[in-house]
Amino acid sequence: MHGLFSSALGAAATAPASAPALAGQMGQSAELIPPALLFVLCVAAAVAMMIVLPGRGREKSIRIIGGVGMLAVLIVLGAVLGKLAAGVGVFFWIFAFIALGGAVRVITHTKPVYSALYFVLTVMATAGLFVLMWAEFMAAALILIYGGAILVTYVFVIMLAAEAGGTTAAVQADDEHTGLEHDRISREPILASAVGFALVGILLFVIFDRAPGEARRQTALAARMPTPAPIVELPGATQQLGAYLFDKQLVNLELAGLILTVAMVGAILIARRRVWRADDVGALAGGETIVAPATPIDDNPHSIPVDGTHNPRQKAYPET
Amino acid sequence: MTELALQHYLAVGAIMFGIGLIGFMTRRNLIIIFLCTELMFQGVGINLIAFGRYWGNFAGQAFVIFVLVIAAAEASLALGLVVLLFRQKSTLDADVWRELKG
Repeated sequence: MHGLFSSALGAAATAPASAPALAGQMGQSAELIPPALLFVLCVAAAVAMMIVLPGRGREKSIRIIGGVGMLAVLIVLGAVLGKLAAGVGVFFWIFAFIALGGAVRVITHTKPVYSALYFVLTVMATAGLFVLMWAEFMAAALILIYGGAILVTYVFVIMLAAEAGGTTAAVQADDEHTGLEHDRISREPILASAVGFALVGILLFVIFDRAPGEARRQTALAARMPTPAPIVELPGATQQLGAYLFDKQLVNLELAGLILTVAMVGAILIARRRVWRADDVGALAGGETIVAPATPIDDNPHSIPVDGTHNPRQKAYPET
Repeated sequence: MTELALQHYLAVGAIMFGIGLIGFMTRRNLIIIFLCTELMFQGVGINLIAFGRYWGNFAGQAFVIFVLVIAAAEASLALGLVVLLFRQKSTLDADVWRELKG
């Protein structure tokens, strides 16, 4: 713990008398965002969001206007925040704008694959923000897990669905515009924008209201100065994080591994389940769908049922 | 606040959470709905790491590790369910499952 935050502790130690002055300065700078301005910004952002969301009667040019409005709101908020910027550099602004812009594109793009790719952009920018906060390991883990594993799974499922869904003629005709019908028309954009930006406005109001904890934090950091020296001096933040995890959070770490194992078993069990649709099986009447349990067929691993294939070795389910 | 402008990071996290929330409510594609939950996870993760950095300990980063674990488990299970739902109705439209409202 020593090495990573020595500079913060040093700042607290070298200027302990300036802590009340700093708190007073914070109290002043909290006035820089008046609630009325936040309210106006949130209303503008909500209006821009409901314009930029895909929907019936909103052509591409109109949605571009909404996107420009969204960008303008972000820039105005950034300019207002920039006045009370203490300790954030230019990289914070770059990463924050990329992350938020990518996030807006994730929920407004009409093609799921592009949404997923913009999500990768957001993940990368968020990893940049993590690095700015000296959480290098978390940044790497975020890119590996989100940008690598989870997103590949998402894109795989999206392409699987798009391939199968594009075969019918109706969908094909619909696809010539900007995507499938349920991607082009969003559900309740006005209500959702109002609710979402009301929540964001309240959160921002509370965040920028005042900073009562600053003086308390300075005393806490100063009080932590005479910590006993660690038994093994670890050089980097990642090593310290590992030591913290295996020292203080050991049971939680084991539980996390258990959860991952259970989830993997459950996902395999769910995905292997066989589905008979009503139009596939003539014997089924009334449009009902049968979902069979994923019981093991026989001991031969080659007889795992795969949709669309006929395996002569495969025995029938007991239920059929 | 000298080392880290906590409020700026909290603002980014809050806005990202809000955007994910709006997407969760408006989008009708099952996969995009789950992608929006991942967006909300990101916003929360920014908040947690900023708080951990602010207070000078590793609790925030440890929290984010567990959030990532839960997100991975959730994504695998949810995508398995999405594949199962897709195989029954051949569409990813969430409105097709309106009958579940009862």
